[in-house]
Amino acid sequence: MNFEEFEELKTHFSGEAADLIPVLQKIQGAQGYLSPESIRRVSRWLRISENEIYGVATFFAQFRFQKPGRHVIKVCLGTACHVRGGEQILDVLKRRLNIEPGAVTADGLYQLERVACLGCCALAPVVSIDGKIYGQTSVLKIQELLDGGLHHDQP
Amino acid sequence: MSSQTQPPIEKKTIRLEINHRAVTCPEGATILRAAELNGIYIPSLCSHKDLSPFGGCRLCMVEVEGMRGYPLACSTPAAEGQKVLTETAALRDMRREIMELILSEHPSSCLLCSEKEECSGVLQTIRKSGVTTGCRYCPNDGQCELQALVEKLGITDIHYPIYYRGYEAEHDDPFFDRDYNICILCGRCVRMCQEVRGTAVLAFTSRGPKTQIGPAFGRSHIEAGCEFCGACLDVCPTGALADKTSKWDGPPDGSAVSTCPFCALGCQVELFHKDGRLSKARAHLDPEINDGQLCVRGRFCMPETTHHHQRARKPMIKHGAYFREVSWPEALDAVAARLKNVRPGEFLMAVSPDLTNEGLYAARKFVTESLGSPGLDSTARWALPGGADVWSRLLSLPISIKGLASAEAVLAVGLDSRFSFSVAGVEIRRALKEGAKLVTIDSRESNLARYTDHWLRPRPGGEGETLLALAEKMAGAPPESKGTREESASGLTTRDLDEAARVLGSGKSLAVLVGPAVFGRDKGGAAARALLMLAGRENTIFLPLYQGANTRGALELGILDQSAGGMRLEDVLEGRAKPKVIYLVGETPFLERPDCDYLIAQDIYLPPFEVDAFLPAASFAEAGGTLTNVEGRVQEIVQIECLPDGAIAGFVRPDWFIFSQLSSRVSQRGFVYESWRDVLRDISGHVQGFPAVPDRRPRRMTWKTDFRDVKASPESASGGDLVLLLEPGGFRHRGIDLSFVVEGLTELKLEEGFRLHPSDLAALGLEPGETLTLSWNGTEASAPVRADADLPPGAAAAWRPSAYGGLLHRRSLLPLFRQPDDVLSVRVASRKGKKSRKT
Ligand code: SF4
Ligand code: SF4
Ligand code: SF4
Ligand code: FES
Ligand code: FES
Repeated sequence: MNFEEFEELKTHFSGEAADLIPVLQKIQGAQGYLSPESIRRVSRWLRISENEIYGVATFFAQFRFQKPGRHVIKVCLGTACHVRGGEQILDVLKRRLNIEPGAVTADGLYQLERVACLGCCALAPVVSIDGKIYGQTSVLKIQELLDGGLHHDQP
Repeated sequence: MSSQTQPPIEKKTIRLEINHRAVTCPEGATILRAAELNGIYIPSLCSHKDLSPFGGCRLCMVEVEGMRGYPLACSTPAAEGQKVLTETAALRDMRREIMELILSEHPSSCLLCSEKEECSGVLQTIRKSGVTTGCRYCPNDGQCELQALVEKLGITDIHYPIYYRGYEAEHDDPFFDRDYNICILCGRCVRMCQEVRGTAVLAFTSRGPKTQIGPAFGRSHIEAGCEFCGACLDVCPTGALADKTSKWDGPPDGSAVSTCPFCALGCQVELFHKDGRLSKARAHLDPEINDGQLCVRGRFCMPETTHHHQRARKPMIKHGAYFREVSWPEALDAVAARLKNVRPGEFLMAVSPDLTNEGLYAARKFVTESLGSPGLDSTARWALPGGADVWSRLLSLPISIKGLASAEAVLAVGLDSRFSFSVAGVEIRRALKEGAKLVTIDSRESNLARYTDHWLRPRPGGEGETLLALAEKMAGAPPESKGTREESASGLTTRDLDEAARVLGSGKSLAVLVGPAVFGRDKGGAAARALLMLAGRENTIFLPLYQGANTRGALELGILDQSAGGMRLEDVLEGRAKPKVIYLVGETPFLERPDCDYLIAQDIYLPPFEVDAFLPAASFAEAGGTLTNVEGRVQEIVQIECLPDGAIAGFVRPDWFIFSQLSSRVSQRGFVYESWRDVLRDISGHVQGFPAVPDRRPRRMTWKTDFRDVKASPESASGGDLVLLLEPGGFRHRGIDLSFVVEGLTELKLEEGFRLHPSDLAALGLEPGETLTLSWNGTEASAPVRADADLPPGAAAAWRPSAYGGLLHRRSLLPLFRQPDDVLSVRVASRKGKKSRKT
């Protein structure tokens, strides 16, 4: 979010401390995450310390502090998927990408998430990659996907 | 705000019943407070009397008739006719349960170990590491609120699975360690840092079992803006936060309330001692000045300052090529013999503005009466530009530290309160919390910038002029100079100033603070004139902040007048005068030995150059005395260490004692004092308005001379590549800079080289750490560079120490310190970077 965009955003609020959460939501909506830079700007504007803002923001699961990865992999661990091996899939992905759920790989390519239920339990275990649902997956299938499919659509 | 101006409303008394006992408490108290006031104990952990209720630990549950469930005593107000029970069987069970849950996440061998009783016998060992010798892993052992509570609740066993968080202890920041494995998440530190300090470095992050305490993005405390005030340590009920230097000292033997010897605010501290030595300092809850708050110096720097291994503790005399330790009589005889032969006009003594009133007075008496010499000077004169004329006027204004908190508007000029005068910063933020408005005038982005309502950012060094322009505006006076002063001198527009004046408002009570850098740069006296102009405004208080702990004492005791007749330090520095004998008392305004035949130093550390005689002075911990703070309070420094002469204490003596010993050796007109109290009595007999015993009432100075207006300012610096600001700074105490002896201050890395705005660094093609050479008037100085985003672009800053003890690494900047100006226009002479720049 650049200077102009931020100034524009300011005009929608009164600049009270109570605006904090909606402001953070707007910023996250615009740039996908809360960067240290944007938190600093909000801090100066609303006169709340960066540390307090960070404290408040980390309380809510919705806020992210890292630039989102180019590919978002969501592994379902809802009841059905859990029973059918979702945990193992997540485990393999964690090891392969070398990150914990919620984080992004160092090259910025992959972001790993765990979700509760994607609403298609019949297809369990389910993984969604960039919004596309992959049903009845297995540890093997996911590995193949990563080996092959995902890299091809790189710019 | 109105509560401050109206007379306090009589608080109603409430009657209630606790444990079937009729008790009373003031209206507005919580049940916990009501119980406390009546000597009834309710277990509590997260509540603290200085902090807002939090309701986190739930230990303080009570039963109240007519209320459902178990209300929390710490956050439920006491009400008329309430019937409270604090010790029912149900409550006891629940409390034990809660405590066990807390302990299931807290290493608890110090609490529950079955060997606890036998343990003390095996604690001691002479081995250095690698063996378990009793569990002394928690620095809080023996002085822990949690321990006390566990004992009170009689818990001997935990029925829940033990969970160890496995966090790495945080040792990287200076001054205190943090081990969040021991933390019970009571939130006291967070509330202290947010509510009371207003710094808000600490916050709860994440939630649930991952909840942790710390700054944003896992930053270090240095990066997050921590002031290292230690307030969080003082409220932590566990050993999670611990002072690096004293953490393993164990429970102290005793304590005494004393005065911080490091700056003119004169905060009250509680000094703890262990085995006869100072162990640590904590803020004293003194309602008149600091109210439980301190800055990094007062909180953390005292023990190291007096105990550092390089502390010089024995008299030494140069004999031919040898510099050797001698006895006191021998040293005094040698020094006296030399002083007896010096002609009054060839002698110069420099006394530090950090000396006690007693030390300063005895020094003056010694020089003027025993030696009959006019040669007495002090860097106090540098700290108070304009001299006694101006400053006896300024110090006759209504000055108040505590008054800041109740001001409706605050004007802070050139003040960064992160590491210096932090207590004033806390008071400002208290006022802001009550709705006050803040205007800052600063070319740097100070730590107050985050809170300000209107920031006037003049050109570097233009703070004084801007203040004057604003004062003229507020007083409705016609501008002194033709044309608009503000635009010519400060680079600000009239609109900026109008806006600032509007924010400050006309009818509101106002507090005006001016930092030491402003006075230092203000050769034209604009700041002083502005303050005097604002003095006409109703409801206005002032806080002019200068360097030196007892600079005001030096002024009142006539040290500044004295320098009019004799030689001055500048004359010696610039080679215009060559005294035969120089006697430095806690002063090291030189980095190299000044030109003279015989050099005497009397201090707590050796100066960084050769001397002919060294007399070891007692430090603030080893000698009693008084200091005069900025408000004129004459406050006692308590002698906390009274060890006999010997290997540990050395052979140090108070300054006044050394002078009295010397006086009888050099002349018939010797003076004898038995204790510092004698000296103080003597002072009050000779100096008008000075008390005969320590007296904490503020005094306004009376001024004797007519105020001679200081000459208008010389041409402002311009025309070079950069404006170089020399900031008065560092952490001077007597002849040394504290960063020389206090490791933590060195880690703050405040002192290194030239600081430049990142964009200027980039334009010069320099990386931090590379060397820059600046030139002006045919002289040059070089030093490594560092980025400092708080500076305005186009400015460079270096810090000009007022004491050089221990600052040998700053030799490369020596040419800068030899010249008198604090704002210089400089050219870039050379740089060791990659790209080159055309100019
Ligand atoms: S030392 Fe002071 S500023 Fe730093 S975290 Fe603790 S309370 Fe906050
Ligand atoms: S560090 Fe201390 S004060 Fe802070 S939450 Fe933990 S136990 Fe409480
Ligand atoms: S503000 Fe001054 S008096 Fe107070 S603790 Fe710091 S150095 Fe000492
Ligand atoms: S549990 Fe995985 S999709 Fe419902
Ligand atoms: S003291 Fe009341 S909840 Fe902790």
